[in-house]
Amino acid sequence: MIEQENTLPTSSPALRKPVGITKGPGETTHEYTFVSRDDAQVLKNGEYVYYELSDPDLSGVNGNRAPLRRVLGRVMKRVPLQLYPDTFLGEPEISPAQVAAMVGYNSLTNELFELHVAIMGYYDSVTGSFINPWIPPQSGKQIFLADDAMLAQILSRKQDRQPGSATIGSLLTRPPDTVPIVLSVKDVVSTHMAIIASTGAGKSYLASVIIEELMQPHNKACILIIDPHGEYGTLDQIANAPQFSEDGDGHGGGYRAQVRVYKPEQVKVRLSTLNMGDMRSLLPEMTEKQQYLLSRALRKVHEMKRGTPWGVADLKQAIKQVSKQKSDEDSEGADDSSTVHALTWRVEQRFEHSFTFDDTQHLDLAEIFKPGQCTVLQLNEIDERDQQVIVATLLRRLNQARMATERGQVHSGESYLPYPVFVVLEEAHHFAPGGTEVVSTSILKQVLAEGRKFGIGVGLISQRPGKLDADVLSQCQTQCIMRIVNEIDQKSVAAAIEGVGRDLLDNLPALSKGQVIVAGAAVNTPVICRVRARYTQHGGESKDAPDIWQQYFNRDNQESRRRSEAPLSNNKGFNLMR
Amino acid sequence: MFIGKIVKSDSHINYVCQIYGPREVEVEPSQADYAFGRFVRVAIRSNQNDDPDATLDFALGISQEPVTYAIGVIYDTILLNPAFGSLGPRLSNETQVELFSPDYISEKAVLIYVMVLGMMELGAPSSDATTVFSTMHGVPLLSLELGSEIETMTDEEVRAFHFFSDSASGPDSVTPYLHMGYLPHIIAQRNSLLPMVTLRIIDQLERLFPQNLSLLSIVKRNFAWRLKVETTG
Repeated sequence: MIEQENTLPTSSPALRKPVGITKGPGETTHEYTFVSRDDAQVLKNGEYVYYELSDPDLSGVNGNRAPLRRVLGRVMKRVPLQLYPDTFLGEPEISPAQVAAMVGYNSLTNELFELHVAIMGYYDSVTGSFINPWIPPQSGKQIFLADDAMLAQILSRKQDRQPGSATIGSLLTRPPDTVPIVLSVKDVVSTHMAIIASTGAGKSYLASVIIEELMQPHNKACILIIDPHGEYGTLDQIANAPQFSEDGDGHGGGYRAQVRVYKPEQVKVRLSTLNMGDMRSLLPEMTEKQQYLLSRALRKVHEMKRGTPWGVADLKQAIKQVSKQKSDEDSEGADDSSTVHALTWRVEQRFEHSFTFDDTQHLDLAEIFKPGQCTVLQLNEIDERDQQVIVATLLRRLNQARMATERGQVHSGESYLPYPVFVVLEEAHHFAPGGTEVVSTSILKQVLAEGRKFGIGVGLISQRPGKLDADVLSQCQTQCIMRIVNEIDQKSVAAAIEGVGRDLLDNLPALSKGQVIVAGAAVNTPVICRVRARYTQHGGESKDAPDIWQQYFNRDNQESRRRSEAPLSNNKGFNLMR
Repeated sequence: MFIGKIVKSDSHINYVCQIYGPREVEVEPSQADYAFGRFVRVAIRSNQNDDPDATLDFALGISQEPVTYAIGVIYDTILLNPAFGSLGPRLSNETQVELFSPDYISEKAVLIYVMVLGMMELGAPSSDATTVFSTMHGVPLLSLELGSEIETMTDEEVRAFHFFSDSASGPDSVTPYLHMGYLPHIIAQRNSLLPMVTLRIIDQLERLFPQNLSLLSIVKRNFAWRLKVETTG
């Protein structure tokens, strides 16, 4: 901030008008209070104000006075000090100002507020963080409203449209688009992100905005979206929208964002990528014996095939061989035939005619992960257990590929993935529920813990943070929290997320649709943000039921229904007979 | 109509006036003229210039100079009778005293207490229509003089005293509106009758300003509640 003082003409003291005067220290250590009339009604809750502090370490150079530091703070509470007496408010059509004027008080201003401010500190551009002065301001110090330019510079880690920036919206307390809130893509992708909100608060809208930002020419990200509800299909408009392309500079370096949407029936999992845990989840309630046989069979088939894909037939074959081998070993001769039969039948029934599980096909990593491409895996119509297995196998393969590539073990082929990726997991509580362990929990935890090293970023989206595994949630270093009404969910958010101040979380039920508290690694300080409008159409809207019912009765529809429901003339007798 | 003259003051805004007795003035003030809660005015002779003509004009009531009045309200009445207590036998009764010794000054008197509420500058008393030059609510800067005469006020004057536009800069410095700027300083006085006077004043204003009933009702209800409900409850 010291540099800014000299460079920005807007910050010259003559143009600034103080909004209030410091009263004294607040309730807690890092709080102070100031008094303001606030005629212009600018000191909203969550607004940013600052006072100036001369820096004892920096003395004035060449006779100039020492530069001043601007200690920023956030307004947390607004306490009225002077209000009209209740009895002045007794007549609805008479304004209390009129009564006050009658008894001789006819001033424009009448209200006086005490504002509680949480001290954030002065911005240090070297470390990119706020440094607390450890002392509240002196009584009588002038308080200024932080100007837009200052906030735009210091709230976000990156500036709008810089490479590696994602502008998700603007500061809520200021007019739209004056103070852009910019996420640092590097931090989002390396230390993970969580979007948490009640249903209808705009989770998938925000996620789409972030994805749009990541797909823009200044980011060209590599994104995979796991979409259990098929809400992200509309993102394919990205491929045609002008915002997402860039002309080459004459050397053929042009860019055009790609979107690939995989329909549920296109999402395949090769059988040979399943491990015993997946099997256990897909074939629930196996007996001990069945599990034992199956695990041996899996080991055998892996040995036999040595990395090449195998199918249902191979697995069945292996089960038979294993059981035979076992009965040869046990001379006691316990009869396993019924177990073998049951297991074979279950494997057959589960995998043979499955859409999802295939002997040979599966999602090619190199095909779904490409920089400048956004891949949407639509998992609607797929059973929840299968969804978990799909996610688990995919994450496992991705993790292995990234690890192998980073360690230099592979240089080409299927598991060669030489760039970081970002995986967006919608309905994350399905894949890592709290309390119980599902097949995708452990791999998700592993990716969240180690993904930073290997360049796998995860964006979790959930409407039930209370149902989400607490470890998983706390691993996400960037949090976007939208409106949460449920008290259990509010508590679990507060417990899992240390980075957000209690005073900000108190605002959760008051947030409107499209307003989000962003905190954590990707921004310099927690901010309340208004999400910008999407470039592409939104797909996750609720149905307008009355409108659809109305349409049912419009004339064309009624006509066509009558036609289709009308009994055929030669069927009349038949209908009567029934 | 002149009803009496100032004989004493308790403070800068509290004055004691003696009501004219029989034969002191042509028209003797009736009890209604000095009723509780009535507005009265007293001329403040601020610019006592040395011009003998002006003084003469003033005395004759043909002065064209605007006159500044202190406006007050009657908030207490005392009937004074020094003879009370000396109950011994008398040689002549009251009627006889009046008849046989007309130079005997009766010591009985009616005193009223007036609180000054503000000031008003009115056009020359001789002109037919009263022109109001300025109005001010609050404590007047100059004190009244002993012996100044107290006059009753007409409804028109009371209305003018309450309904004016702010001379100072305000939100609506042009449009006149109802003022009761003296209320705070009435309340600040410690006198048990003053709240009752306030209610009386509001009653009068309700009659004079029917368009402002709801505005007045706020103040009235507030006072009535505090005076009547809270004190008895």
